[in-house]
Amino acid sequence: MPDIVSLSLNALTLMSILMLVALGLAIIYGLMGIINLSHGEFVTIGAYTLFTVQAAGGSFWLALVVAPVVGYLLGTVLEITVIRRLYDRPISTILATWGLSLILQQAIILAYGAAPRPVTAPFEASVQVLGITYPAYRLFLIVFAFAVMAGCVLVFRKTPFGLDVRAVIQNAGMARALGVNAERVYRRAFASGAALAALAGVLIAPLVAVTALMGVNYLARSFFVVLVGGAGSIPGVVAGSAFVGGLESLLSTTVPITVAQASVLILAVVIVRFRPQGLVPA
Amino acid sequence: MTQREKTWLFITLAILAALALYPAFGSYSGVSGLRDILLFALFAVSLDLFWGRTGILSFGHATFFGAGAYGMAVMTIHLAPGAAWSSLAGLAFGVGLAGVIALAVGYFVIFGGVRGAYFTIVTLALTLIAQQIAIGWSSVTGGDAGLIGVPPLTLGLSITGKVFYYLVVAVLFGIVLALWAGLRGQRGLVLRAIEDDERKAQTLGYNTPLHLLAVFVLSGLIAGLAGALYVTGTGFVAPDMIALLLSTEVIMWVAVGGRGSLIGAVAGTMIVWRLQQEVSTLSASAWPLFIGAFFLAMVFFFPDGLPAAAQKLWTRWKGVKEGGAA
Repeated sequence: MPDIVSLSLNALTLMSILMLVALGLAIIYGLMGIINLSHGEFVTIGAYTLFTVQAAGGSFWLALVVAPVVGYLLGTVLEITVIRRLYDRPISTILATWGLSLILQQAIILAYGAAPRPVTAPFEASVQVLGITYPAYRLFLIVFAFAVMAGCVLVFRKTPFGLDVRAVIQNAGMARALGVNAERVYRRAFASGAALAALAGVLIAPLVAVTALMGVNYLARSFFVVLVGGAGSIPGVVAGSAFVGGLESLLSTTVPITVAQASVLILAVVIVRFRPQGLVPA
Repeated sequence: MTQREKTWLFITLAILAALALYPAFGSYSGVSGLRDILLFALFAVSLDLFWGRTGILSFGHATFFGAGAYGMAVMTIHLAPGAAWSSLAGLAFGVGLAGVIALAVGYFVIFGGVRGAYFTIVTLALTLIAQQIAIGWSSVTGGDAGLIGVPPLTLGLSITGKVFYYLVVAVLFGIVLALWAGLRGQRGLVLRAIEDDERKAQTLGYNTPLHLLAVFVLSGLIAGLAGALYVTGTGFVAPDMIALLLSTEVIMWVAVGGRGSLIGAVAGTMIVWRLQQEVSTLSASAWPLFIGAFFLAMVFFFPDGLPAAAQKLWTRWKGVKEGGAA
């Protein structure tokens, strides 16, 4: 029983992070049909924002606010300078954002060095849950991530911006004909996705080694979340994150972590063969 | 034979002649360095076979190169060390492993209808999976450190030095010429039809997924061969031979030479390697930065590869000159 509780909580932690990172990817892919390979670098940027804020004497909570803003601004710049010019060339977008990802990684190495950077969680305590002792920070992370997801669902369902996004995902031409400024929707959605990834970066930073190359890990898993779950849908992202995060946590109790990750990815490829649209398509 | 084909054949034979004469002038280390580059060129040819002929970009081709490399290393070091036939077995195992992976993944992905950008992403993930296995399964693959002590290629007698160099040149150009000859006819046309419009090709009665899968597997086999031969030259295998960076570098080699021509991939590989030697001496960050900038520049300034862009510039320049004279 205690094993099951800690296992589920570990799975939920990973799932929470994947949800936040993958949501941006899924919406961008669903909206514009493009794949942003520099998405992982926004996770890295979030983590380094936390390091920078803490090194300057600021708190974790300040970073939690600053990082999404940094992510949003950089995302906007990236959308305007690169992505916008490549809307109708998906393969070119992959190559360009891959190039960008390499440049960002090296820029971070040049600015901060290649060694891992220290960051601290806002609280170190552990609490008793269902008969086991579990780090309070991880519980906070899970609750916070689900709250952010709930907020995204509300934005998606209840705001004019969310309505526009859904309209463009369904039929871009028709939305445009009805007066939706699709380019503005693209720009804002792209920047919001980047902001969410940066937020996820702050949340995960205290649990992992903060290095310039950390983003790649989340990029690959997030793609599988989108592949398995289905592009452009929030339920798809939740289902995909549960699948990838849950299975990886479950498998890593019995086999080495790399083998667990590999098995999950292989299973995801098999799923793609039989459900090319994902488990919960838009 | 068309004029275009004559030019192609001329360029190919000219490069072949230059490479054949090189050992007479080059030093020992120069010859073995060039041999390694030619094996990477063979790897680039394998990617060009798939990307250039079908228009579908594989972002995970290092998987097949790495499978060949690890297959050879594991067979000659773990499974059959010291046996007279261990090189041959390693060659078969490495190439076979690459082929089986290409077949399995290709079947699921190509018959699953995954195309375009999605295909690129799935193959990208394939490299990540492969690299994770190479690092994680350390009892077999040696983990991060890799495996050291792959013996030189032995086919009856040990093949090293200039003999190995000439073998590599022969294999590379044998494959380039064979692919060229094999794709001149109807098979090449079917692939071009699929690249233009797969559904139309399907309507005309061609089993397009089968065609794509066949090319993908052939491409994987050639990449595996390049990897297997490569480690017999270097004597070791490491996870960076199956890494994402290699998967993307090979795209750059093909793009520099111009995709679709096969021999362009060979020329592109040699040019980029020369460039890498220069750039890498600056700092550890310089080469990845260069690759990143290259991809951005490629997308915006020369999406069809360098030769096509050069040709366009040349035509425009000629047009300006003639326009000025008139």
